Amino acid sequence: MALKTPASRQTASTETRIIRFSTAERTVHWAVALAFLYATLTGLALWSPRLFWLSAIFGGGTTVRAWHPWGGVLFALFFAVMFRRWNRQMRLDGDDRRWLRLAHRYAVHDESGLPEAGRFNAGQKALFWMQASSGSLLLLTGLVLWWPEIMPRLLREISVLIHPIAAVVSIGGLIIHVYMGTAAVPGAFRGMTQGWVTSEWAASHHSKWYREIRRR
Amino acid sequence: MTTGPDLKAISATPGGAAATTRSHTVAKLIDTTTCIGCKACEVACQEWNNQQFTIGNFAGTYQTLPDLTHSFWNLIKFNESEQDGQPVWLMAKYQCMHCVDPGCLRACPAPGAIVQNANGIVDFNQDQCIGCGYCMTGCPFDVPKLNPITKKVHKCTLCTDRVSVGLEPACIKACPTNCLSFGTREDLLRKAETRVDALKEDGRPQAGIYNPEGVGGTHVIYVLAQADQPEKYGLPKDPRIPWTVALWKGPLKWAGNALLLGGILGAFLHYLRYGPKDSGKPADGID
Ligand code: HEM
Ligand code: SF4
Repeated sequence: MALKTPASRQTASTETRIIRFSTAERTVHWAVALAFLYATLTGLALWSPRLFWLSAIFGGGTTVRAWHPWGGVLFALFFAVMFRRWNRQMRLDGDDRRWLRLAHRYAVHDESGLPEAGRFNAGQKALFWMQASSGSLLLLTGLVLWWPEIMPRLLREISVLIHPIAAVVSIGGLIIHVYMGTAAVPGAFRGMTQGWVTSEWAASHHSKWYREIRRR
Repeated sequence: MTTGPDLKAISATPGGAAATTRSHTVAKLIDTTTCIGCKACEVACQEWNNQQFTIGNFAGTYQTLPDLTHSFWNLIKFNESEQDGQPVWLMAKYQCMHCVDPGCLRACPAPGAIVQNANGIVDFNQDQCIGCGYCMTGCPFDVPKLNPITKKVHKCTLCTDRVSVGLEPACIKACPTNCLSFGTREDLLRKAETRVDALKEDGRPQAGIYNPEGVGGTHVIYVLAQADQPEKYGLPKDPRIPWTVALWKGPLKWAGNALLLGGILGAFLHYLRYGPKDSGKPADGID
């Protein structure tokens, strides 16, 4: 999978580009991201009176109420596609479990003793499963909130609590995810936009994966 | 109308409403022992509020409809019961209770869609309503109803339009037995006590007032002959704002905001302290 730098894109450095995410994977990722962002911003408008001003950006309170659930359903659909594609690669192995126990070292850039990461590191895998569970809860409770007039009271009373709790968990995960994917790990963002990373980047952050594709 | 000195609480508005100097609040008293089920109040309500009747299905009862609807805010419940081996009706007028601590208002996310006037009336402003239906879950009496076409909730306004110009609500005006009265809450609570005493003397030891504490009391007060069993009248025994709603609109809001703000702040501080990861490891260093 290692690429030769195309002549037209040659730069001063003689970096080797490695394809990290295929066009299909990137499309799915950004579809999930956009739907999630829309659901988050419209949901937050109703979460707190101090954020109700967000509804003005999205067409007013009534529009936000009517469209947020559709944004959520789109998110769930796109996530289902992502899930089918990635769930096998996201399974945690023994190395990952040890990695998670040492995650505090990863956080302060002291990676001594940290098991090598495969295509996804254990943190990314954990985020994936967290978003999958939280997303399922959001979908189930969101459907209840969608039609309060036909839903039993007990389900509604549970959902008004679980939907925002799951939303806070998901948005919290998103904050960490965005920080890692942009500022904290230079080079990662290009992997998800243009689809390629340098061999140095791959060797440094996902050495097990890098070795694997080198062998191929 | 979302501002003004005559408001006590405004939905989704931090800080609530302006202070008020008003000392009297209004109330409606329903003496169920003298209700004859004539439905004059139902008709008056429909007439004054200019609403069409919904045609329901005959369900073997004299009751007009099984429940309140978005265009039917005043229902006489024909509760069937038994007394001394005889079937009896326990008539109970059902409508918004105008709670002192309204769960609908607490649940509402739209600023100004639900207001509580200083006189105690809880009113919905359909032009601010976004149709989420949260109030339906917040209300322990299942009163607010969503219009499926316009997606706005509606309920009894305690004829705030009449009250504000010195008239009594339409239902009160129409009642032929004086079972309904309107006045200050203080006066009516006293009147209710007098009536309960009379009922007790009359051999109804269970008689009492329904003014549920769980919602801080209500501005619609009942005299019940069997106050120990309000369920028999179709009234909840110990209504409270659901604890999940109270938790959601109280501590959860603060915890959630702290977590989200803390997350964003934490990411910034992490960057300042530790900076980005470096990718300097030469690729050849591996394997
Ligand atoms: C999966 C499908 C989803 C459905 C069907 C759904 C549905 C709903 C509904 C019906 C409401 C009530 C008001 C409104 O319509 O805006 C709501 C509120 C909300 N939703 Fe969703 N939603 C979904 C996904 C999401 C996602 C992915 C997020 C963001 C992570 C989210 C965050 C929120 C928030 C923060 C609220 C406000 C809660 C509050 O008032 O405290 N939802 N949702
Ligand atoms: S009875 Fe229901 S709708 Fe009426 S004030 Fe109380 S909570 Fe609100």
